[in-house]
Amino acid sequence: MTSTPISNWTVLMTAVTAVLPFVAFLLIMVFTRKNERLSAGLSIGAVSVSLAGALFLIIQYRHLTTSVQYAGKWLVSGFITIPVGFLLDPLSLLMLTIVTVICFLVQIYSLGYMAGDRGFSRYYAFMSLFAWAMISLTLSASLFQLYVFWELVGLSSYLLIGFWYEKFSASEAGKKAFVMTRLGDVAFMLGLLLVLMNLGNLDILKLNSPMVTAVMSPGLITLSALLIFGGVVGKSAQFPLLTWLPDAMEGPTPVSALLHSATMVAAGVFLFARLFPFFSHSATAMTVCLAVGTISMLLSSTMAMVSRDIKQVWAYSTISQLGYMIMGLAAGGYVAGVFHLTTHAGFKALLFLCSGVFIHQYETNDMFDIGRKGGRHLKTPMICMVIAAAALSGLPPFSGFFSKEMIMAQLAGLGNPIWLTAGLAGVFLTAYYAFRLIFIIVFPKEINDEAAQENSAVHGHEETEHHHDREMAWPLVILAAITVVLGFGKKMLQGFLSGRLAGVEEMAGHHSDWLLYVSVSLAVLGLVVTWMEFGRRKAGQIGFVERIPALKSLFLERWYIDRMYRRLLDVVIYRGVSNICTQNDNRVIDGSIDAVCDGTVKSGRMISDLHLSMIQYKLLVMFVAVFFLALYFFF
Amino acid sequence: MPIAYAHFPYLSSILFSCVAGLLIILFIPEDKKDAIKWVSAVCSGVTLLLSAYLFFAYDKTQGGLQFVEKYQWVPSLGISYYNGADGFGLPMLLLTGIVFFTGVLTMWELETRVKEFFALIFLLVSGVFGMFMSMDLFFIFIWFDVSLFPMYLLIAVWGSTRKEYAAMKLTLYLLAGSALVLPAIIYLVVKSGFHTFDLVALMHPGTFTPFQQKFAFILLYIGFGILAGVWPFHTWSPTGHVAAPTAVSMIHAGVLMKIGAFGVLRVGIFLCPEGWQYWAHLMALLAVIGIVYGVFVGLSQTDLKFVIGYSSVSHMGIVGLGLATVTVEGLNGAVFQMFAHGVMTALFFSSVGYIYDRTHTKSIVELGGLSRTMPVASGYLIVAALTGIGVPCLASFWAELTVFISSFKVYPLYGILAVCALVVSALFMLRVVQRTCYGPPKERFAHLEDVSFKLGIPRMILVSVIVIFGLFPDVMLNMIQTASIPFISGLP
Repeated sequence: MTSTPISNWTVLMTAVTAVLPFVAFLLIMVFTRKNERLSAGLSIGAVSVSLAGALFLIIQYRHLTTSVQYAGKWLVSGFITIPVGFLLDPLSLLMLTIVTVICFLVQIYSLGYMAGDRGFSRYYAFMSLFAWAMISLTLSASLFQLYVFWELVGLSSYLLIGFWYEKFSASEAGKKAFVMTRLGDVAFMLGLLLVLMNLGNLDILKLNSPMVTAVMSPGLITLSALLIFGGVVGKSAQFPLLTWLPDAMEGPTPVSALLHSATMVAAGVFLFARLFPFFSHSATAMTVCLAVGTISMLLSSTMAMVSRDIKQVWAYSTISQLGYMIMGLAAGGYVAGVFHLTTHAGFKALLFLCSGVFIHQYETNDMFDIGRKGGRHLKTPMICMVIAAAALSGLPPFSGFFSKEMIMAQLAGLGNPIWLTAGLAGVFLTAYYAFRLIFIIVFPKEINDEAAQENSAVHGHEETEHHHDREMAWPLVILAAITVVLGFGKKMLQGFLSGRLAGVEEMAGHHSDWLLYVSVSLAVLGLVVTWMEFGRRKAGQIGFVERIPALKSLFLERWYIDRMYRRLLDVVIYRGVSNICTQNDNRVIDGSIDAVCDGTVKSGRMISDLHLSMIQYKLLVMFVAVFFLALYFFF
Repeated sequence: MPIAYAHFPYLSSILFSCVAGLLIILFIPEDKKDAIKWVSAVCSGVTLLLSAYLFFAYDKTQGGLQFVEKYQWVPSLGISYYNGADGFGLPMLLLTGIVFFTGVLTMWELETRVKEFFALIFLLVSGVFGMFMSMDLFFIFIWFDVSLFPMYLLIAVWGSTRKEYAAMKLTLYLLAGSALVLPAIIYLVVKSGFHTFDLVALMHPGTFTPFQQKFAFILLYIGFGILAGVWPFHTWSPTGHVAAPTAVSMIHAGVLMKIGAFGVLRVGIFLCPEGWQYWAHLMALLAVIGIVYGVFVGLSQTDLKFVIGYSSVSHMGIVGLGLATVTVEGLNGAVFQMFAHGVMTALFFSSVGYIYDRTHTKSIVELGGLSRTMPVASGYLIVAALTGIGVPCLASFWAELTVFISSFKVYPLYGILAVCALVVSALFMLRVVQRTCYGPPKERFAHLEDVSFKLGIPRMILVSVIVIFGLFPDVMLNMIQTASIPFISGLP
């Protein structure tokens, strides 16, 4: 393991970057809950320092070739050592930048979005908690540390999803998110333990070094890779643990933008990328990952085609884009996957933040309602949303186009054409559902007098609420600018990322030409189909899927996955095991104890009955006693 | 014959301040309730300060027994008053100090029979302290029993929900435990042929034959294990938790259950290491059943205190699993878990106690929306629940993690089961939080006031202990290691 020597300055800078949001969290929770402005100030101040730190680090190490690692001790117990430290390499630096940028923008945006909310300070406290956990997760040098913060981002996700806890659906969604990701985390933990037992260490660099194959057998590597991938499935909401993410949209929209699209759910993909060399040792594991990514991508795209809820559409789309990233990585395209993660963080956060403006303005999540109430009159968010949707669909020249192209090229390089076919089908579906939403909002149908009136009423409302617009508008503009520009940084990013993994990445360049046209034309096809169905003047605004009732209900019901879980939980856990154990406790254990007690009391009663002054019993007892004594003495 | 006069008798002063508190309270007239409370607070505060001082003054590089006080008491029988503190005892002393002090503060609003209540609490706690510091088998047994009897009165007089039944059940169970412990102790003392109850003297390897160790260990394990809530001897504990008043629940779940586990460690494992290794597999099995079973039963409870009671069964199972691994990490994790669980349940009961006092219900069906009406009170409940789930950077996470790792190494199957129980435990804790704290605020609780600063102090202490040891687990683990490493390496 070669490590570049590090200056104290770097250590300090990294520590400050990571820890400051936590300090803000503590201060807000303990002292400034009553003072909303101060809380927001603390939180934003901390995250700006983190942002500055992150930028400083990435600029300082832009030519990094080897990893920079620093490790201190957090806990030592026998053979278990849990270090606390950081690992700076292109991947973590890139992720760190993404996280801090989006955190910063979203916190600014929230100033407007959350203004006047009763839990304003609490909101910023949780946001800081999340920032701390997420930054530390990205910087982790060992899987132990990563696991710790992995759980903590899960916690902040739980707290933020259930932020409006008075709504039953919100608290239920928070619980569901926590428990479902926990399910994945248990697998992750078992995977970690398995690696720990065999390798004796959970250092990420050590796990990624080629030495692993010498210590662990291929079967063991596959097993532990799959177990760790369980964690990825939970956190990144992949099949079969995908249903928590749409429900997580119960949280405030900035939260959805930050946690449930750009950063936290991407942590799963990040982990996959982090352990990419380890996963590559096992072809089986990679294939399973590829399959899981593909299934999730297709399933969730179909779900997005029928939803009326604007945030739900983006949630499904997040799942499917994460699926793309996993497909890219599993197909061997390290840079492709990570690049898509980067571009996706930008445009998906943008999509959510734009939707947030609509939701804030019109107080509805229903896209038809938003369209009818005059959504297109909000110029800035509308334009930004179109840009982001184009990026999402993979239309040039926006960032999504470049990253998706790379993934497609990678899939084309695989032997089996089924993966590429699935990927291309996904491109069509993505363009379809993204522009379906756009067209519904931009070209609302059934504009009659009533709606027009409503429209003007809304306009009056708009005037009074304008004072928050600036905080909410400029994060949008920045993100839109990033979405437009980022794609052209592909070469630079590629160079930066493959500094470490020069040998691993092989671009399947020869496919690019025809593939490029095919995938762009598929995206355009999707766009045209939606235009026919939703955009043009005479469109009925009913999608081709919705004309088939069976398919529509299948997609609306999320392929019945949720129902199945619900039933499983009710029948097996609550009514099954839990009930049996409770009955056992009450009837068997307590019952037998009570019986013993009763028996004691009864036998006591019986003996005391013998001592009532009934002479015949006493004589009998005496006789028996004497008889046995006699037996004992004589024989 | 005093052996060590070189230092101030800190350990005895802890006991002394308990006894002094007890005596002073007995001489204060019944109606001066404030005076009684203040005396209790001061005396329990002194024990907390002393135990915290000992915790940090202990010389970790030297290790072993420190702050030793030894006086022959009945030389003809080999009984001596012998106190000492080591890496296993000190965390427990600190825990007792914390739970005792915060428990007293939690009961600040008590109005009925104040004098008797605090007097009994002091009696109970002096037994607990004695148990954790004594190194003489005779005294260990005496302290053990001293800490049991006040429970009966405390529950039967100040309790609620089927209190007589619970008090009786608890007392009978615990007495059954001590009925197993006493013969085992006598058996060991007689068989050793040393004519001494001195634990350190009896610990010499080779004192007991393997058979004697196996025989005595199983008695000690079950006897003390009843108190630690080992499955299937656990049912006294939820019932007792539910019936007991707040401070008693805190001390009961926070400290008293630890006496059981500590007894297994201090007497059973110390004296019969070979018996321990022989029975370790059984211990692990029972512990894992407890872990899994506890969460599943907890899942279908509707009474808040029952829920916590069953979570205790599950968490104490983790202690048992740690002890059963016969490794340094396992012991570390087990003792750390005793500490973490103690603080956590104390916080749990303390916040539930507050909620119960105000709303007069513990049923999670009737509660709801408390986060709006009492944000601080429900905040404490949520922190406790999160600790129970094993969220990182809160104390019990590290304990559970070390136990899981060591058990995964020794008993892979049990380790997997224990880790899987984490999912269900998350489900059942969050269910409780959701039903009590979240949801729309209810009309009938709207007028209730939140935790005031003064009443919040004990809860704040508990939360900060959880967070501090969660962020700096090494403080605790370094302490425990001073005892666990020499002990494991000295095993035959």
